[in-house]
Formats: sequence, C-alpha cells, structure tokens
Amino acid sequence: MAIPGGDFSQFDISKEEKDKLVAEVIRYILFKTHQNSGCPIKREELSQLVTKNYRHRSLPAYIINQAKEKLSSIFGYELRELQRSRPSSTNQTRLSQQSGVDAKSYVIISQLPAEVYKKYVEDVNTSHMTGFTFVVISIVQLAGGKIASDNLWHHLKRMGLHETNENHPVLGNVKQALEMLVQQRYLQKDKVSGPEGATLFYELAERALEGTVSERIKQYITQIVKKDSTTEDIS
Amino acid sequence: MAVLSWKHHTLIQSLLERGPLTEKEFHSIFTAITGQNSGTHQGKFNDYLLKINRELSYVQLDLRACRDPYDGEVYYGVVNNVSDEQSKFGTKYSVPQIAFFKAIVEAIAQDVTAEGCICNMDVLNIRLENQVLNSSGSQSQDGSLGIPAAFRNFTMSQKERTLDQLVKDKWLCYTEDDNIGVGVRSVLDLRGWFNNAGVPSCEVCNEAGLKAKLCPSEGCTVRIHQYCLKKIFSQKGVIVCPSCDTQWEYQPPKAEPVELEDEETEPMQSQPSSRPAQSQSSLRSKRKRQRVSQNDDSNTQADTKRVTRSSAHLR
Repeated sequence: MAIPGGDFSQFDISKEEKDKLVAEVIRYILFKTHQNSGCPIKREELSQLVTKNYRHRSLPAYIINQAKEKLSSIFGYELRELQRSRPSSTNQTRLSQQSGVDAKSYVIISQLPAEVYKKYVEDVNTSHMTGFTFVVISIVQLAGGKIASDNLWHHLKRMGLHETNENHPVLGNVKQALEMLVQQRYLQKDKVSGPEGATLFYELAERALEGTVSERIKQYITQIVKKDSTTEDIS
Repeated sequence: MAVLSWKHHTLIQSLLERGPLTEKEFHSIFTAITGQNSGTHQGKFNDYLLKINRELSYVQLDLRACRDPYDGEVYYGVVNNVSDEQSKFGTKYSVPQIAFFKAIVEAIAQDVTAEGCICNMDVLNIRLENQVLNSSGSQSQDGSLGIPAAFRNFTMSQKERTLDQLVKDKWLCYTEDDNIGVGVRSVLDLRGWFNNAGVPSCEVCNEAGLKAKLCPSEGCTVRIHQYCLKKIFSQKGVIVCPSCDTQWEYQPPKAEPVELEDEETEPMQSQPSSRPAQSQSSLRSKRKRQRVSQNDDSNTQADTKRVTRSSAHLR
C-alpha cells in the first residue's frame, strides 16, 4: 500500500499506532465540527493529539495528512486549510509571535457535486444560515471587502434584519447570527480609531477569501444583478 | 485505492447532515443515486452498507438501522461505537442537560410495565441531584456530596427548553398521549447502554424491549415488541409465549393502511456481531446536530401506522 508523504517507519511507530492516531484526529475533527457548528479547528489542536504521546517532530504533519486522505476516501470530506493571512488590528501586538506559529486552521467541506449535495445531503433546517451567510458576505464584498458596522446593519435592515431583534422568526437573535459568521471565520471584526472615536468594521476573513468561495460569490452576485433588471431603490 | 465512490459518500453524508433517516427516505436516496431499487436489489443495497461499514470501522463508527419502538418504523443512522476523549466533544448539550437526559432515559428504561414512556409531569419533576447520587454510587447523607450549582439551579423552564431541544434532535420523542418516549437517536446509539441497564430484550428480535407487550401469565418475564408480534402472527396465525407456552391474544392494529411490503427487513445491515457496541456515555457520541427532519412523515410518528394503544391489553 503506497503511503504518500513517506514511510511511517521513520517515525518508529507501528501501523496500529499510526492508524489509531489518524482515527483519533478524524474523530476529533468530526465531533468538534459538530460541537462548534462548523467553526474552524486550529492546527495546533490537532497536533496536540499527536504530540501528547509521541515526540517525533514531523509526526503531526504526517498524521494530519493521512487524516486528510482518509476523510476524503471514507466520507468524501475535504479537510480544507485556512490561512489566517490578515490578522485584524486587534491582533497587531501578537503578529510577531504568529509568524513562527502555525496560524492554520481547518474546516471540512463536502466534496460532492453541488447538485448532489443539494438534493440528498443538505439539511433544509440549516439553509437559513447559509442564505444569511451568503447575503452578508456579498454585502461586504460589494463594499470592497470591508464595511463599517453601521453600514452593514443599514443594508440588513432593508431586509428586515435589525440589530436589536432577538426574535426573528428564522434567525432568532440576529446579532448572534452575525457573531456566528465571525466565529466561523467568514468575517472578522476590526476596531479602527478615527476622528470620532473607534469605529467597528467587518472585514472578509479567510473562509470568505478562499479562492473558490470568493469566485463563486462573485458569480452569484453577477447572476442576481443581471436577472434583477427591475430593481428599485428603496430609500 | 478508492474503495468508496461518491455514491457511498452521499449516503454517509446524508445521514451525517440530516440525522437519522427513515428507511423510505434512505432507500429513496439510494435509488436516486444508483438508479436501482433497493427493494428489488436488496443485495446491492446490503453490499453498499457493508462496504461503507468496513471503511467506517476505521474510525469506530457504524451505519446501522433500528426500529422506532412506538411505530416499528425502520431508521438508519451513523452511530459512534466507542466513547473516548474525542467523542466527548460531540455534543452541544451542557453537563446538567446531559444529566437531565440521562435521568429521563433511566426512568423510561426502568418502567416495568414496558410502556416505554414517562409522563410530562414526571419529567419536569426530575431532580438532577439524584443523578449525582446515582453516579457516585455511595450512600452519604444529603448535602455532603458537593452537588454542582448548575444541577441545583436547573430551573423548570430550562428543563422545558432542554426537553424541547432533545425532542427536536430526536433523542426523545413525544408519544401519542403526550408522554415522553425515547427518540430514534437514542435507540440507535444507546443499544449497549440499555443492555447494561438491564432492560429485558424482546424475545423475537433481541433488541431492548423498552416498549413492548408483556406476557399475560403472571411471573413470566417475556416481552415482545408489538411489531415483532405482528410478524409472528402473520406467519403463524397464533402467538405462543416461548417461555411459558401461554397463548397470547393478539389484536391486529386498527386502521392498517397499505401492507408493508418488506416485512423481512430486520436490519441485516447492522454491524457484524464480532464487534460489540459499547457506547456508554452515549449522548456525547451524537453526530451532526439535527433539527426537525425535513420529511414530515417521520416527525408525525406515522400516526396511521401506529399500532393499537397499549390499553388493548392482552388477556
């Protein structure tokens, strides 16, 4: 059985131990993803599962790669790596530390074709969040990738989503729903000090900036704008 | 070395994202993606499941089937087999909520009349402190056990909300008469736990007889599920207790719509018996969070197919 990435015998662990580690990492990813509703998992957390009992320096990387393969072959999930490339201004002081540490995190994404996913897998009970996510990211993207909080809420208000609404029939607490997007790393918050004091900005974060996502959002926006030739401005 | 194709992946992911699915739903997905009717191509369907389970075993998971104790409907789900450090993360419920759930399930399991449910009032009156007592197993005096504040302060409204969420997630269900019963997830996941808790098994299918008919003869401890009784009755025309030879009077359920075609589908696709299911702290083994199933049928608990109430006692 060809093992890409090198023979694990260099790590001085048996096949059973290796399999056990890989299984643990996969299980951690699956259970954690459920628990935190799809928020990215830090690479550190995965490495720790390995380094807890094994000292070899490059073992974590090997195990994570194997886990990636297995997640794909068993479940059809891609373990996508997100790079935290643009730390927000609130993290400025920690920037020097971060360059040495893996600021990588992971999410799992289905590898099924979109139509298949939509028809057989998608849970309609969560599609409201997907819709909300799409709308918010589109707004921020159209604003150039960064938008002031007030401005964002102004647009959301036009769709009946108010910052103070805790009982929206679909989204519940609307503010919390937006917070969820921050936790899932679609957005990040930024406090920018200006002449009037600090303003809160929302910026696209790694999950929304990731190549395929970004491209597709642009495509969808174009579709919507093209179709909607009768838009009126609601003042 | 691609053992599983996108078709297998679709089946797995559908269960992970949508939660336990009825046989009908699951079969229809299978049929749609393979173009083969799982009824006529039972072999192919089983093949798929076998292949899937072989791969899933790598991570100690299992694709298995079970029957809803209240209406006999078959459900499929992906279940965790081993309770370990990782699976402890697999839940969004808090510690007191889990204790609450455990208390409910225990109460249902210990019901000697095999009704398989407890009434709403009893649920809301559950005191979590007893859970601490039970788990520590000692008989110390009151107040000296260090019961966590969260347990003591678990309010009625928190209980109601937790109950609601548990039903939504299918760990519990509302039975016909507004009682609380075990949900499909519990039946799938807690099989090992029920056995360990001493719930007598059904004589026919050997699964936990949470909601079952008891042998009418005094002192005989035999239990059989209503849907298992139906099967025997349709095969033999009479029901005789396997242990004490008493004849059971059997009333076919009223309002029977279409005859279920594949009566013989006892879940053969369950895991091979070589691997014991050991899901002890089962709630933590919950997979992807699920809300209400999108297929309304499974949610209304198939009222028309529901067997006669347990009030139609066997004489």
